[in-house]
Amino acid sequence: MQVTEAFKHAFLKQMLLGFQASAVSTKSMGFQERKNAIKLSADVAMAVARGSRKWTRGLIAGLSEERQNRSFLRLILGEQYESLLKPCHSSWKIPRCKKIVRRSLRVCWRKQKKNQSGVLARTLVEKRTQELKRLVPGGESMDGSSLLDETLDYVLSLRAQVDLMQSLLTTFEASKLRSHSKRRLPERKASYVSK
Amino acid sequence: MSGRSGAITDEEINELVSKLQSLLPESRRRRSAGRVSASKLLKETCSYIKGLHREVEDLSDRLSDLMATMDSNSPQAEIIRSLLRP
Repeated sequence: MQVTEAFKHAFLKQMLLGFQASAVSTKSMGFQERKNAIKLSADVAMAVARGSRKWTRGLIAGLSEERQNRSFLRLILGEQYESLLKPCHSSWKIPRCKKIVRRSLRVCWRKQKKNQSGVLARTLVEKRTQELKRLVPGGESMDGSSLLDETLDYVLSLRAQVDLMQSLLTTFEASKLRSHSKRRLPERKASYVSK
Repeated sequence: MSGRSGAITDEEINELVSKLQSLLPESRRRRSAGRVSASKLLKETCSYIKGLHREVEDLSDRLSDLMATMDSNSPQAEIIRSLLRP
């Protein structure tokens, strides 16, 4: 996945539409409510900008589990809402899931296993795989290589989301600085090195 | 690529694993020859994702703070309006 200009544009546009739809600039809105609206807009923007993937469908499905999000999602996504909620084709693989995960991970780390106490290592891999499945939206119904593929895509999209939200914040802060006394703009250190 | 029901080759998995490894900040800095263990990779990936989630939370907080103090007649509001224009 490449973070293209098209992706960035789609994300920002979608996020601002989300802000508009949830009227975040209303002065009377409480902090938590506004923050939730912003985060919801950001997540939807990320899913829409990325398009149809297992994790984007998982994300929208997860968001619509909360009743208060549904009218916003329907409003913002329109027709896309229904199609994004459609279950992915590999959901029937759920019972085979654990076996496939173990097999596909074992395939590439076969050589390492010789030096490790087999049972402990396998348990650890399983445990951490389960954790990863909880972190990646829609992960619970993914098999081994799907999980890796979706994880990669999701991580790249998350990084883009962080970058773009930071840009938005910087833009707003900078415009504010002009009308207030001079103070140093706090620099946020990225936790990774972007390409 | 995802969603195929056909056999997944070792090569494809290796490719995914090395791509994932190259994304993780710690793995890149380490620059170790050969592969890192499966559990280590999964652990780092999980930490990394959780870190990114925290950053999004933090940025949402800060955006919320900022919007609370914005004046509807200010230049900031005008920027937002101009961004919303098609």
